[in-house]
Amino acid sequence: METKRLDTNQIMRQVIYALVLGVGAQIYFFGSSVIVQIILASITAIIAEAVFLQIRGVKIKPAIMDGSAILTAILLAISIPSIAPWWVVVLGVLFAIIFGKQIFGGLGNNPFNPAMLGYAFLLISYPVQMTQWPGEFISFSQGIDVIFGLNNVDGLTGATRLDDVKTQLMLGTQIRDINLESVSQLWINVGFLLGGIYLLLRRIIFWQIPFSLLLGLILMSAALFFIDPSQFTSPYFHLANGATMLAAFFIATDPVSASTTPRGRVIYGFFIGTLIVIIRVFGGYPDAVAFAVLLMNITVPLIDFYTQPKVFGK
Amino acid sequence: MSEFAFKGGLKLENPYPADEIDLIRIPLPDKVILPLQQRIGEQAKPIVGIGEHVLTGQVVATIDDERCAPVHASISGNVVAIDEQVMPHQSGLKALCITIESDGKDDWVDTSIGCTEHYELCTPETIYNKIRVSGIVGMGGAGFPTHTKVQLAEGCHTLLVNATECEPGITCDASLILAYSTKIIRGAEVLFHISRAERAIIAIEDDKPEAIALLKKYCNNDRISIEEIPTKYTSGAEKILVKSVLGIEIPSGKFASDVGVLCLNVGTVVAIFDAVVENRPLISRAVTVAGNAVKVPKNFQVRLGASYDYLLSFTDLEEGKHKVSMAGMMMGIELKGTNYSVTKNTNCIFVDMDEKSAPAKAKECIRCGLCNTVCPVDLLPQQLYWYSKGENIDKAVDYNLLDCIECGCCSYVCPSRIPLVNYYQFSKALYRQQVKEKEQTDKARSRFEFREMRLERNKRERAEMMEAKKKALKEKMASDKAQKDIIEAAVERVSSSKSDTEEQDGN
Repeated sequence: METKRLDTNQIMRQVIYALVLGVGAQIYFFGSSVIVQIILASITAIIAEAVFLQIRGVKIKPAIMDGSAILTAILLAISIPSIAPWWVVVLGVLFAIIFGKQIFGGLGNNPFNPAMLGYAFLLISYPVQMTQWPGEFISFSQGIDVIFGLNNVDGLTGATRLDDVKTQLMLGTQIRDINLESVSQLWINVGFLLGGIYLLLRRIIFWQIPFSLLLGLILMSAALFFIDPSQFTSPYFHLANGATMLAAFFIATDPVSASTTPRGRVIYGFFIGTLIVIIRVFGGYPDAVAFAVLLMNITVPLIDFYTQPKVFGK
Repeated sequence: MSEFAFKGGLKLENPYPADEIDLIRIPLPDKVILPLQQRIGEQAKPIVGIGEHVLTGQVVATIDDERCAPVHASISGNVVAIDEQVMPHQSGLKALCITIESDGKDDWVDTSIGCTEHYELCTPETIYNKIRVSGIVGMGGAGFPTHTKVQLAEGCHTLLVNATECEPGITCDASLILAYSTKIIRGAEVLFHISRAERAIIAIEDDKPEAIALLKKYCNNDRISIEEIPTKYTSGAEKILVKSVLGIEIPSGKFASDVGVLCLNVGTVVAIFDAVVENRPLISRAVTVAGNAVKVPKNFQVRLGASYDYLLSFTDLEEGKHKVSMAGMMMGIELKGTNYSVTKNTNCIFVDMDEKSAPAKAKECIRCGLCNTVCPVDLLPQQLYWYSKGENIDKAVDYNLLDCIECGCCSYVCPSRIPLVNYYQFSKALYRQQVKEKEQTDKARSRFEFREMRLERNKRERAEMMEAKKKALKEKMASDKAQKDIIEAAVERVSSSKSDTEEQDGN
């Protein structure tokens, strides 16, 4: 097979296309308000990026056209609840673009995943808004009302299955008495999984990070499940809930902030997977992708240094 | 088929496939320009004067240095100039050249003297020397003097004939095989005689069935085998070829000769045959002319020193502004114009349309790591880039900058179109400069320290001498005093005894 020549813009675009199925599942179950979030996030990202490029004295057009800011915006927008108030997503994207990316010198120079930095900022600052997911399908107009605070939203919101299980477990309920099934979560994860497989086939991402991440997540949750199935949920629960597949194929694979050596990627992904389970189970927040990714971002220089491939003839 | 495939590299279709890859012999050029600077060593000194008539194959410049090859006239005619001419190099550097104007006769020097068919009667030393005086250097592009390489490989077990093209788009080696397959086989036999190699392997890419068939047809020596290797870019690089054909990994910083392999390009083997058996020095070579501005890519057997313009006059070029480079699409050196001459290491002239091949503006590195999947020597190009960009040369060297073979695979696949190899070349140059500066400062420091030491020593020695003198003086004074005391004592004794006597006398 002939060696292909990719293009950075093309890579960003392909990743955005691959998100379609997962986002489609979100729309199917929760309504199209996620589209509003994506649009809000993208506009904010472009404006923030343009302003900071101007300040940095960099040519604005080519840098914006690379699609990386929009990708960050979309990843953040689909990670936060689709009915979060408009200022949540705007603040999150501003934080992600400014403090996650531009302050380090723009694309390619940021040590942290910008979308996850924005997410962590929001989760810590606005925990209530960040954990109120739609409890049922809501129409577009309802969504607009909720996002822009035009109408009272009580009764629309609910916790995610992940959050719910956590709360129940904290109250001392046995696993067998808790409803673990969540059709919407399952299908959203399947959507992102399929998108991820598309990226693998198109060779936009390498297999190491998604595979080792899922392996780490399965092994860690299996170990806990093996110790006490009445206290800990099964690996399947962890695979099918929360942002697992989004993390494995779209977030942890952000090349800029991930490890770059082949062996390093395996280590990087594996520990993100285990950390996701550890933080989900023992941490204070329902989902853990952002913290797991950010923690592993810090270790990247170390991992890269110790996993250099053997050079020819050395 | 080779069993030791190498990691990385690029699978590329030849972008400029030719219907015919025959070697076209073109008429003699009117004028040749021969540079006197070789790959290593000092510049050769002209031994002919302006206006002198020279014969084809006559030595026109030579040098005492054993490592260097002399320069031969590639046509017969008159020397018209010995002056500085622009070299085919990015820097546009000038170097001393001899210009010969053809008399159209192509009169040769006497080629009857030498080893001829009966080279087996000659000692290896005689043949080494023959290779040297015939001006043979590596024809694959590196231009390293061949006699040195052959001598270094004395006692090697395998002769590896590199028949893989340097880069996609170049077909000069294949055309050479089609034209001279028997010379290649017999050249390998000459090398058997001088190198003690037990076997020879001719490594050729599997996309050249005609050349393979021809080699197999004419190979009647069972010590010579023809090995097909997958067509993949950088398989022609010596280290990579040795690995993929023999499974031997040449240690970093070492050469093929260190692992008992003599690796020579097919062009070099043909030149050795011509020199040893036919007594003809190296005066011509095969050159590919390709690129997107060339309507039909062709291979030419051309006299050294012929101008690019002359060569290009035998091809159809698209109208418009051209961009010319020496060597191919991966490692090519972009040149300004066509005012250059073919040298011993010109394997290809690439002519592209200027606007078609305008390089896309480089974007930021997103650390995607595509580069390290194609690096044939398993470097981490993105890390090298990071440190090279920051001019953190020590760190880049830690990441094995010096093992980079500058093949350009990383630059090719880079989605941000970063000219990575240019950064590495720059870093290597900086590193060499640093090493040189360090050597100089080390030298200066040791000189300074020695001077300090010497001054100190002089001072000490002078002080010691003074001390010794002082001591000697003191001792002398002391001994003088003792002498004096003795004398005084004696005098006193005498005088006292005298008075005693007087006293006694008085009694």
